[in-house]
Amino acid sequence: MITDILTSNFFELFNVPVAYEVDLEKIQQRHRDLQKAVHPDKFVNASDLEKRISMQQTSLINEAFNTLQQPVARAIYLLKLKNVDLNLENETTMDMDFLMGQMEMREALSNVSSKDDPLFELEQFSRQIKDTMKNMMKSFSDSYENEKLDDAKEWIRKMQFMQKAKQEVDELSAKIEDELF
Amino acid sequence: MALLQISEPGQTTAPHQHRLAVGIDLGTTNSLVATVRSGDAQTLPDEQGHHLLPSVVRYAETGIEVGEAAVEHAVIDPSNTIVSVKRLMGRAAGDLKSLAESSPYLFSTSESAVPKIHTRSGDVSAVEVSAEILKTLKARAVATLGDDLVGAVITVPAYFDDAQRQATKDAARLAGLNVLRLLNEPTAAAVAYGLDTGQEGIIAIYDLGGGTFDISILRLKQGVFEVLATGGDSALGGDDFDHTIAEWILEQSGSKKVPSASLVRLLKREARSAKEQLAHVDEVNIKVETGDFFWQGSLSRSQMRTLIEPLIKKTIMACRRSLRDADVTTEDVLEVVMVGGSTRTLAVREMVGDFFQREPLVSIDPDKVVAVGAALQADVLAGNKPDDEMLLLDVIPLSLGIETMGGLAEKIIYRNTPIPVAKAQDFTTYKDGQTAMAVHVVQGERELVDDCRSLARFDLRGFPSHVAGAVRIRVTYQVDADGLLTVSAREENSGIEASVDVKPSYGLTDSEIETMLRDSMDHASDDMHSRMLREQQVEAERVVEALDAALKKDGDELLSDEERNNIAQARVQLLEAKAGDDAESIKAAIKTLESACADYVARRMNSNIRNAMQGHSINEYAGKDQE
Repeated sequence: MITDILTSNFFELFNVPVAYEVDLEKIQQRHRDLQKAVHPDKFVNASDLEKRISMQQTSLINEAFNTLQQPVARAIYLLKLKNVDLNLENETTMDMDFLMGQMEMREALSNVSSKDDPLFELEQFSRQIKDTMKNMMKSFSDSYENEKLDDAKEWIRKMQFMQKAKQEVDELSAKIEDELF
Repeated sequence: MALLQISEPGQTTAPHQHRLAVGIDLGTTNSLVATVRSGDAQTLPDEQGHHLLPSVVRYAETGIEVGEAAVEHAVIDPSNTIVSVKRLMGRAAGDLKSLAESSPYLFSTSESAVPKIHTRSGDVSAVEVSAEILKTLKARAVATLGDDLVGAVITVPAYFDDAQRQATKDAARLAGLNVLRLLNEPTAAAVAYGLDTGQEGIIAIYDLGGGTFDISILRLKQGVFEVLATGGDSALGGDDFDHTIAEWILEQSGSKKVPSASLVRLLKREARSAKEQLAHVDEVNIKVETGDFFWQGSLSRSQMRTLIEPLIKKTIMACRRSLRDADVTTEDVLEVVMVGGSTRTLAVREMVGDFFQREPLVSIDPDKVVAVGAALQADVLAGNKPDDEMLLLDVIPLSLGIETMGGLAEKIIYRNTPIPVAKAQDFTTYKDGQTAMAVHVVQGERELVDDCRSLARFDLRGFPSHVAGAVRIRVTYQVDADGLLTVSAREENSGIEASVDVKPSYGLTDSEIETMLRDSMDHASDDMHSRMLREQQVEAERVVEALDAALKKDGDELLSDEERNNIAQARVQLLEAKAGDDAESIKAAIKTLESACADYVARRMNSNIRNAMQGHSINEYAGKDQE
């Protein structure tokens, strides 16, 4: 049985306004405070039921924490609260310029190992992705605040692309660093 | 899991009474047990005064030998003497192929998914061998502290996967130990250094033991530990240093013959001794003489460094990766804690110091530091420090995923997610009339299922027959605070719980463990019966005590008269059942009482969270005033 407070939304649970911009420091603080109250370590000698509830509560708090912390997960969650169906995989229409840009970047990435200073190049990619991501987050936030939810959806899909690209850059950096060492 | 609770009936569990709990470092090379006495955590020695118990088990003609006795016979009886069994924990036969070629054991081809080692006492699994080590440590604790141990915190390498953690817990169950928590070794080390009090920032724990390497990046803030990232290598440690040096000796000797198992062991022993001496002297003389093998020579500290440098570099690489995972740099790291006997090797300390650009902490004996930390945590979990703010927040070390079309692994829970954590996933049928579905859970970071570790396969069965896509099955993956996975499934439209048959890919099934438990009982079934009864009586006592304490605190506030009466009735029934001699009816009465309390407990847990949230807003204002 999950208690009513946990059926409230993640923003309420963490006592922050329902908005895309969040105070990460405050969320981390709240995460620790909530954990201190509900974590299974506090219920080692309790009944099985309490242990189970403790595990469920902690799991939910952790899920909320993860969702609020991550830019894309947080955006998806906000749209879910608005009952927007995010059937992201099934949507195929997409900004052509954006897709072309993505393809160019992938191609540049695949050539990076042959460059003189691949780590420097990857550093550049990283920075570029970070900046783009920042702008996208801002754009999502604006669309969301202005109730332009279709636009907001589009921004989520673009952010997912960037997230994947970031992951690839990180993996490539790790691989090249290990080889250099 | 009260199957083997060790508490005796009649024991009082009043909150003010000190409850005995131990911390156990179940190591690859050595194991230790420690406890908190008069506020001080100490490792416990055996009768000869040795604190370290070599993790070596020998199946001798006369019985089972554990520790020094087994080590002494390792050279003459290698195939019945199991060393470094931790490496085999939670492993499948396939994983062991490379190991089997270089080890003296005969792995038997058994029906079980768990590989078994053939000894003169029959085939044994790694879980059973580890249980022997734990039994020895438990006996040591009981001899020193008395028989009323409430449980143990057992440490595991931070990135042990689900199968390895489960195997460790199974071993404890076989040894009759109540596991309070599985704790990551590096986290235990941080606790031992008391880094939870005062200091705030990023801590790196470098743990190079006999057979495993762990690097953990922890963040300490306001008395709370968070594991930001973990990494390492489950097959790298001081044993490999010994192996490398042993190979060097063999090479120097010019011997062309394939060395016998006993010569390999002797060489490794000499290599180890040379390595240990080189922590204090610049050069050491080595002499190996046995049968038709003879070699004499010297090894300098710098020569040794050249030999083992590639191995240390591998650990530094893992350090770098973990820093990146944690999104911090070496400049952010406040302290580096050295753990594990292999950090006595000077080359290790130097290279680690160079990498992190600071002197690592070495003041606590690196062999004992993990057990000491585990004992401190066991003391907290046993309830001896109710006001203690210490809380260890842990993460899952490796991503959990399921197999999808084309042999790809789809991640469900990403690594470094705080645990406990639950994730639900919806499936639908793809054929008309389909009533079953197979799910394959894997753990690891790679994209292909074949490159990940297979954890379990299960079949979801018994959902209603409909057209394709009309059946929706929600599968929930729950990872508990020990990092262990359980799976449940239900059909969403009908609410039917689909049955889940979990077949652990490498683990022991519950029935296998039951069989081992029965086999290991020296007593007749009468004893088994009275043991079960005692356990249920103790459990009943615990439940009633906890309930009474809760009612006293907030029963008036949270319960209606009717609810209170129902609970009181169930409580009386439980006490009556407890006075009888039927374990099953006590068990049933506990269940009844617990379900009568369900709403009450939920309300308490709810107000618990509410208080936490309110408490925080007060702190927040106080904080603002200070600024």
